[in-house]
Amino acid sequence: MKSIRRRVTLSLVGSLLIVGFGLLQTSLWLFEAGLKDTLRGYLQAEAEGLLIAMVRGPNGVQLDASRINPRYQHAFSGSYFRISLPDRTWRSRSLWDSLPDWPEKPGLGSDLLDGPQHQRLITYRGEYRRGNLLVNIDVAQNYTPILDSFNQVRLGSLGLVAAALLILLFLQGYAMKSALRPLEQARRQIAQLQHGKRRLLDDETPEELQPLVKQINHLLTHTEATLKRSRHALGNLGHALKTPLAVLNNLILHDEIARHPDLQANLREQLTHIEKRVSLELGRARLAAEVLPGTYFECDEELPALFKTLSMIHGQALDLSWQAHTGCHLPRDREDMLELLGNLLDNACKWAKSKVMLEISQTSDNCRILIDDDGPGIAPELREQAMNRGTRLDERPAGHGLGMDIVNDIVNAWHGTWILEKSPLGGLRVRLELPFRQLEN
Amino acid sequence: MRLLLAEDQVELADELVANLKRNGYAVDWLADGRDVDYQGMCEPYDLIVLDLGLPGKSGLEVLTGWREHGLTTPVLILTARSSWAERIEGLKAGADDYLTKPFHPEELLLRVQALLRRANGLANRSLLEAGGLALDESQQICLYKGKEVVLTAGEFRLLRYFMLHPGQILSKLQLTEHLYDGETERDSNVIEVHINRLRGKFGRQVIETRRGLGYRFTGVMS
Repeated sequence: MKSIRRRVTLSLVGSLLIVGFGLLQTSLWLFEAGLKDTLRGYLQAEAEGLLIAMVRGPNGVQLDASRINPRYQHAFSGSYFRISLPDRTWRSRSLWDSLPDWPEKPGLGSDLLDGPQHQRLITYRGEYRRGNLLVNIDVAQNYTPILDSFNQVRLGSLGLVAAALLILLFLQGYAMKSALRPLEQARRQIAQLQHGKRRLLDDETPEELQPLVKQINHLLTHTEATLKRSRHALGNLGHALKTPLAVLNNLILHDEIARHPDLQANLREQLTHIEKRVSLELGRARLAAEVLPGTYFECDEELPALFKTLSMIHGQALDLSWQAHTGCHLPRDREDMLELLGNLLDNACKWAKSKVMLEISQTSDNCRILIDDDGPGIAPELREQAMNRGTRLDERPAGHGLGMDIVNDIVNAWHGTWILEKSPLGGLRVRLELPFRQLEN
Repeated sequence: MRLLLAEDQVELADELVANLKRNGYAVDWLADGRDVDYQGMCEPYDLIVLDLGLPGKSGLEVLTGWREHGLTTPVLILTARSSWAERIEGLKAGADDYLTKPFHPEELLLRVQALLRRANGLANRSLLEAGGLALDESQQICLYKGKEVVLTAGEFRLLRYFMLHPGQILSKLQLTEHLYDGETERDSNVIEVHINRLRGKFGRQVIETRRGLGYRFTGVMS
């Protein structure tokens, strides 16, 4: 997974480093160029001063020591010269015994020279004509202090860039956090959606997120509407198919057909087959499974009505009870859950002698449903068969309930498990384990 | 017993009406939800069989309206919508029982029978027992002193109505209203004739005449 924060940080650090170094280097370079220009003027003036110091003495041309800057007399003072005449050469005393590799070209030397005592020298060569004498004057200046200060400036600036980088990173982190807060909020809301704690995302988001949130909400409402519509259509289809079946069920009892018992039995069997198939497939098609995240089953609201219905169907004699913690709230489609519990409880009621119990307990990542009755129960070796697992409708002996097929479908769609056990009440216990959706991680 | 059948599918309705009539019920049949709504409120039915998918006005709406207006007549919902959610909705709207299509005709008869007994506070057994008599509703015969007494359709209907309301004074008007459907011409003399025949079969004291008020089923002395 790519983190937006990491990516933005990386690009910020990169661009800041490039710009920082670029700026620093360019400014140093420009500054050095200006400095060298000044130095050139200075060195040229020095060379011209030396030219003036050449006087005509008794032995021809000689250097007037009083006119020479005293710096040229101190050893390694940092100021050096060499005056080359066609027949001789004067070196400043400050050079002592070192012989720098003087450049050949007039003007400011393009490279720095190695001077005495590890000094780096900047040089200037002037070519003059004195009468008919060709005079080359090389002047050099110790450049090391300037280099040192440049390095210092560079180091200081690097420090500044680093400090700026840190501050910017900090500020950017803060800005990022506040900018991403709506995203974080949306993420949390989606998690709530998964847990069935809300139906839609909040509309109050920044402009950039609006289309996304709107699209998600649109999708949710659309899915909900589609589900409702298809359920309604299935209801209509069921109505359209089952009413004629009811008519046929009545018709085969007519005397004309009753006179042919074989025919009647055959017709009845086929009708039962169609009826089962239609009920099963329509029931399956109704399942929402995990299509809709924002739905939930409110135990306190739905269970009393379900139990009232059951006791109405099975008479008042049965003791029906349910147990769930207050505010029990299962992130499952209401109709699917009702179908699941309705079928299982209906079955339990059919077999129970006097008592049916439903217990729902919930942990953070799963939900356990126990349905107990005090009926005859099912022998362990027959339990698998009773659950209709792994058998197809047409392979199954007649008379098996369709309810278990629907239960199987629902449990499978929810990635849950169900098993039959012996109940402490004496009859059968159906144990359902439904894991909750884990989508946040 | 007078029933209202609200079912829009003509073939099914025909079958059901014939079947119910064979079993001694007076049946009015309506197909439009609005008619059902109106007639259910103003006619004294003993039970209403209501299909949910009615044209004009949906069965659920009709039922909710009835219950809001205080109509307590037992209602059996007949529908192809078999999911539990829909079943619960129907019962929440005030239905007393729920039968999903397709169903076997006997199933409907048994439900109707059970619902009528429950509505009149009687236990649901295989025989309808009251005042020392036991009535087999499926065969339309009565067990009296260990003997089977055969009844005509008219006698059966009348006796059943009396046995469902034991000890209550029933006026002649009430009896005609509940024993004949809306289309049969009502002749109060027919009631008298049937009462006399019942007295002939079970003794004079079985039905008491309260002059000016009506009749009362007191049962046979044991």
